Amino acid sequence: MDYESARILGKLIGAGLATLGMIGAGLGIGVVGSGALQAMGRNPDASGMIQTNMVLGIAFAEAVAIYSLVVALLILFVG
Amino acid sequence: MEETRKWRWGINRWFVFLFIVLGVFAARAYSPILPHVQLPAEELAGPITLPFVGEIYLTNTIVATLIVDLILLLLAFAVNRAIRSGELVFRGVVGAIQTVLEALYGLAESTAGKWAKQFFPWMASIVLIVLLANWMELIPGVDSIGQVHSVEHEGYPIQELGQLGNLSIVTIVKENAQAVSESTHDSYSIVPFVRVVSTDLNFTVALALIVVVMVQFYGIKALGLSYFTKFINVKPIFSKPIFGVIDFAVGFLEIISEVSRVISFSFRLFGNIFAGSILLFVIGSLVPVFAQTIFLFLEFGVGLIQAIVFGMLAMIFMAQATAGHGDEAHEGA
Repeated sequence: MDYESARILGKLIGAGLATLGMIGAGLGIGVVGSGALQAMGRNPDASGMIQTNMVLGIAFAEAVAIYSLVVALLILFVG
Repeated sequence: MEETRKWRWGINRWFVFLFIVLGVFAARAYSPILPHVQLPAEELAGPITLPFVGEIYLTNTIVATLIVDLILLLLAFAVNRAIRSGELVFRGVVGAIQTVLEALYGLAESTAGKWAKQFFPWMASIVLIVLLANWMELIPGVDSIGQVHSVEHEGYPIQELGQLGNLSIVTIVKENAQAVSESTHDSYSIVPFVRVVSTDLNFTVALALIVVVMVQFYGIKALGLSYFTKFINVKPIFSKPIFGVIDFAVGFLEIISEVSRVISFSFRLFGNIFAGSILLFVIGSLVPVFAQTIFLFLEFGVGLIQAIVFGMLAMIFMAQATAGHGDEAHEGA
């Protein structure tokens, strides 16, 4: 096949493969959430502080998913 | 029990109904298209050559930044006037701002302790700016009203709606693929006047750099020059011979961690909002009538959470920097 269509094919496959990194982020968010819920169950008085730190942990874990999304978008639009 | 008010027909629900009906008719008359998405911000006005900086363009994200600044200045003036009038209880917009700022100050105090008064302006400014910048993509007209200019490929034909002085208001019409390929001489694409600021990497990287520099500044202010022993840790090499070298390497890793904070801050905000705006474009072009409302709610929540997370992370890093080397063990994160 010619160069242009091979390039577009490579772009699309690359962008699709780059989103596989979100698996780890999804698992990470689940682990953070489960830890937070268990802590809230043991100590309901500390729910406010636990919730604040849980949102922080989720933001860190979600950032990794966003990195993989940005890589996919870069491959699609800037490659 | 107080007596309940008699239920009356409200007026606002009719406005909502009217907008829904108008939206359905507008979507049927002129179907929305998928606009051309690009990573850098699109330029609106020509280059202005500054002596020291070089050429700068007026991009559509700069217009959005100016609008955000204008809204914040108006809010600040309103709050100032309300405080000067001497009342104790504020109503309306000023009361809402007061609630938001009290909540943020509570967060600041619980995280930073005695430095809360110094960190609070940074954190609250970042939260308010990023919040307003993120919520601008919910306003209709942002990312959709702009200039049309002709492109060679991937364009759509246009149709004139009316005249305003000697400007003509046109709208892009989505024909089927046959009609587009026949009439290739008029294919146009749109460059929006206002684009969401957080989708511009300049904005997010600038905020991240400011935060990281201010973290170092507050660290030096709290601990003096011994703040740099966090990074270049020579003393443990002499006091505990073998493990001191590990401490030195850990100090070196802290430098890399500071650099990665810039990347992490900027790309977290950029990725969330850019992906959200592309999502709104795609859903808006596929199912323009009701499906986009659900995603507007999602973007509302995402914008809010990303703004709060940016501010809180900034404050947590500042609090860590002022806490000192000895307390690092039990603070974690």
